[in-house]
Formats: sequence, structure tokens, C-alpha cells
Amino acid sequence: MTDKRSRTKKPEARQAHRVRLALLGKSWREARLLMLSSALILFAFCWVRVWVVSLLPTDRFKTIVEQFREFERFVPVSLEQLFTYPGRIALTYDELIVVMGMAIWAIARGSDTVAGELSRGTLEMVLAQPVSRQRVVLTQATVTVLGAALLALATWFGLYVGIHTTHVDEPVAAPVLPLSVFGLDPQQVLQEGETRRVAMSTKVNAHDLWPAAANLFALGFFLAGLSTLVSSMDSHRWRTIGIVAAIYVLQLIMKIVALASENLKWLFHWTFFTAYDPERFVSLAVHTPEDAWRLILVDDQGAWQALGPLGYDLLLIGMGVAAYLAATWIFCRRDLPAPL
Amino acid sequence: MKCPQQREPVRAMHDALVTTMALTKRYGRFTALGDCTLEVRSGEVFGLLGPNGAGKTTLLRLLLGYLRPTSGTATIAGWDCYQHSLDVRRRVAYLPGEARLFRQMRGGEVLRFFAAIRGGAMQDRALQLASRLDLDLNRRVSNMSTGMRQKLALAAALATDAELVILDEPTANLDPTIRGTVLELVDEARRAGGTVVFSSHVLSEVEQVCDRVAILRAGELVRLQVMSELRQRHRISALVHGALPPAPAELSGQLRIDIQPAGRVVIETPGELSPLLGWLSTLPLNEVRIEPVGLRAVYDEVHVGTKMDD
Repeated sequence: MTDKRSRTKKPEARQAHRVRLALLGKSWREARLLMLSSALILFAFCWVRVWVVSLLPTDRFKTIVEQFREFERFVPVSLEQLFTYPGRIALTYDELIVVMGMAIWAIARGSDTVAGELSRGTLEMVLAQPVSRQRVVLTQATVTVLGAALLALATWFGLYVGIHTTHVDEPVAAPVLPLSVFGLDPQQVLQEGETRRVAMSTKVNAHDLWPAAANLFALGFFLAGLSTLVSSMDSHRWRTIGIVAAIYVLQLIMKIVALASENLKWLFHWTFFTAYDPERFVSLAVHTPEDAWRLILVDDQGAWQALGPLGYDLLLIGMGVAAYLAATWIFCRRDLPAPL
Repeated sequence: MKCPQQREPVRAMHDALVTTMALTKRYGRFTALGDCTLEVRSGEVFGLLGPNGAGKTTLLRLLLGYLRPTSGTATIAGWDCYQHSLDVRRRVAYLPGEARLFRQMRGGEVLRFFAAIRGGAMQDRALQLASRLDLDLNRRVSNMSTGMRQKLALAAALATDAELVILDEPTANLDPTIRGTVLELVDEARRAGGTVVFSSHVLSEVEQVCDRVAILRAGELVRLQVMSELRQRHRISALVHGALPPAPAELSGQLRIDIQPAGRVVIETPGELSPLLGWLSTLPLNEVRIEPVGLRAVYDEVHVGTKMDD
């Protein structure tokens, strides 16, 4: 009996596997151009940005940034952190190109899951086959999430390559040896403003940037889930994109307002951008490496201080999972109108 | 998270493959399909006829589980079309009115994609059909004309070994030669024991391939016509001189006689024409014209009704 059941199950399992592969192949075809071009752009941008950082010595950068000390509250870490090479490189994860690169990928793919396929008319061709609606969402989500991981990896790898291929000029510190003992004047030995060229990799450990890359991935995951949720209720992709973009801008404004005003600090609890804090996570990785992947941060007495980098990542991913589940629930129950 | 659970199918007591019972779909106050009760028997080609907005596509989308019925039920092979949509779609192949395929793929890749999902020997059959439909499978879908895309989707739909094939205006956008091939393919599917639901605007096509036809009007099923009965019906039109004598008793119950102004008479017979010929020869008729009552006449009757209702 068991043998018979297993014999009949095997072809079914093989067929289910073939269906999964066919749907994944289709999603990959649809997504590959955007995925690969986004990954290439993010990789190149991150590499170039490290090079740009190397062009401006930190002491001169410090002189410039000091002019804006009064705006320090808008920066998630202290300005002193920004006067270090890891701090300056970590700023890459707040660059518009990086954040928007991930957001565009997540929103483009998430919005395509239901509304995009529905408006193109391809969804009814897929759902005319023995394919469940859950399978459609799961397949699209798999490609979208793998793409988000690839983009986050591309940013880290771009920084890694940048760190290992660029050099910085740094002023040579005056020797502490009492050269006068030998009858020499230190001023004569070292000319003022003398610098030496050192590899960026001696200043920055690329592994300290992993928490920021993970945070970027978590942001992408959440945005993909949110877009899929809106998409699951809609029939027009342009409208889905518009709604998600509006939510994105609104949440960004809420974070800025919360940073600007003490009275509106409560808004931090109502914007997902609170959980996107890559500079602070890099700072933790540099200064307290044991906290780099903590779920929660505690003080010396063991009392809860705040969510750790992993906590924020899991918060974003958890919200993304909830959005995906809600999207699947809605999609499984909604009517599918004829394409326009 | 799961869609509705699977249970055993509930088979109809006779050989109906598709059954709808008071199937209704409303959008707010608008009734797209109301109280539709019909059966499609195994092995028949069942036509759906009606103008735009009659409810044909709504009915087909309800059968495929794309829409949740407001009330009533629809089953295919005993499976509820909405609750067990996946089981239904294992048994159904569908061609939408305007097939939209995956623009990034080439024709051959589209057929391979559907073959991978359906399994079995679908790919070989699809390739044969593609050749018969004169399709260039190396061309990318984005570079295909609407007609070529429709042919590609048709090859994918007809290559399956599904119990039921649902074709929603399959010949739209096709040239006359390929239209003929499509109708041949539908006929072949019937001869192979398949069941086809064939929705169309083109009366001659429906007349040619269908065994029974449902005529829909404003979301209502208004007529169910058996085509073999329709093919036996004839209409005699003539000018009559003087009074028309009453029909013999054995014929009078079957005939519909309409005396029009200017002495024109129209006689319709629902069955065999031969018993009528003897009586006709005794009548004072001129300009006699005998023609089969086609689907056009039935369709017009239904729509004259619409005007009268208005």
C-alpha cells in the first residue's frame, strides 16, 4: 500500500517540481534585465564612491562637515563617526542611488506580482493552467527576494572592491623619538604637510559593512512585501506604484519631521525608515563588534536599550512577511477581472 | 495560508461535464450574469452566443474560478469551479478572447512553458499544431502580430489533453484560412471525444461547429438551442392569392403561420419538411421560397424580444 502510494506520488512530485521550475524561469526572464542592470549600477556606484571618499582626506572632510554641526541631529550617528573612513563609507547606504536602487527593484517587482500581470493579461494565461494562486505569489516573491539579496550583495561587493583597490593620503605623524638626541631637528627631518599613501583596506574592514548591507536587504524585502500587498488588491500597475511611492515619501517625511522636532519624536514609531539605520549599525560593528548582529542592545546592567541591528532587520523582514501573507490571502479570494 | 480545501468531486447524475445552477454574478446593482442554469454534456461542442455585455465572458470566468459567484454554483467534472479551482483547471484548457502571452519569450519557449506546466505529451502536439497553424516559433512574442499571438495561444490550449476546452472567441483576429483550420481543430476535438465550450460572435461559425447553443442577453440565458433541431427547421415564404385554407390537423400543431400585409405568408416548421410539401402544393402560392431557419433567425428573435421589452 505504502509502495503504491509512493509510486503514484513520485510523478506528481516531479510534475510539481517542473511547474515550480517553469514559473521560476518565467519570473527570471521577466526580472533579469532590471535585476542585472540594478546590480551592476549599485556595484559600480559603491566602488566609485569609495574612490571619491579616498580623494578627500578625512581631515579636510571634517573641516567641511564641521560647518554643519547644528544639523547633527539629522544624522543617526555622531559627526565624529563621520570623520572616520568606515563612517564615511557607511554613508553610501544612505545615498539616494543605493536606497532608490533597492526601492525601485522592490516596488517594480512587487507591483508586477498581481496588478502588473493582470493588466498585461498574462495572469489569466498562467491561471488557466493548473497553478495555484499561492504558487504565483510564492514564485514572484522568490525571485524578488533573491534579487533584493543580490542587490544588497552587489553594494557590499562594490564597497569591498573599492576598499581593496583605493589608497588614501594621510599626514605622517611626527615621530615620537627624541631625534634631538642624535643632533637632528625633527622639523628638518619631516617637512610640514608630508603625507604617505596607504591602502584603504588598512583603514576600513569591509566586513564591518555587512550589517548595513543586511539592513538594505531587509528594507528591500519589506518594500517588496508592501508593493505585493497593494498589487494584490489592484488591477493597474501604475496605480500600485503610485500608492507605494506615496507611502514611501510620506514615511520619509515622517522620519525627517521626527528628527527635526522633539515634540514629534513619536513619529519614529510610525515610520519604517526608523528600522533602516545602516550607518549606526556600521558604527556598532566598528566600535562594539559584539553588538553588530544583536537582536536587542542592553546596557551594562543588562537592561533593554534598543533593538539591535538584527532586531531591526527582523522587524522589517517580519513586516514584509506579514505583507506577503496578507497579499496571498487577498489574492486567493479576489475576483480577477478581464484585462483591459 | 491555503485557498479552499480540496474535497471529493460531486459528479452529476448524468453525463454533464459542466453544470451551473442559478449561477449569478453581480457587481453592486449591476447583474453581469443572473440565474444561469445549464449543462454541457461530455463530448459536445457547446456554443455561447450573445452580443457584448451579454455575460458570456463572465460565465467563462466563473467556470475558470477567476470570479467568485454572488450566488449559485458551477461545477466541472463534479468539482466546484471556485472552491476547487485548481482541480477544475487540471481538466480545462482555456483560450481567452485576446490572448496575452509573455513578451520576453519566443514562440517555442511559450509552448515549452505550458508543456512543462501541463506535463504529458503536450509539447509534441503543440509543435504539430503550430506547424499546422503556420506559426514561426523562433519569433519573440513581442514581435508577433495579434493574430500570431492568438494562434500561439490556440496551439497551447488545443495541445493539452484536457477534458474540456474553453474557447472565448478563438477566431477573432485570424485570417479566413486560419479560421477554417481552427474550426477543423474544434471538430477534431469533438470527434476525439473532447468537450468544447465555444464562445463567439460569428453565427456561421457557431452554426458550423456547435451541437447546442446558449444565447445570452443582458446577463440572462434566454434560449438553449439544439443545433440538430434547428437544422431541421425551415421557413417557407410566399405570396398567397386569396384566403389561406387551414392546415391539416396533423400539421397544424407544429406550424407557425404568419400572414403579413400585401399577401405575404411565412410558414415555419420545426421538424421534417416532407409532410408539409403535399399540403403546400395545394395552396394558391406564388414566389415560393424555402430556406432553412438558421441561427440568425433564432438570434434575431431573441433580440426582437429585447426591443419589445424596451
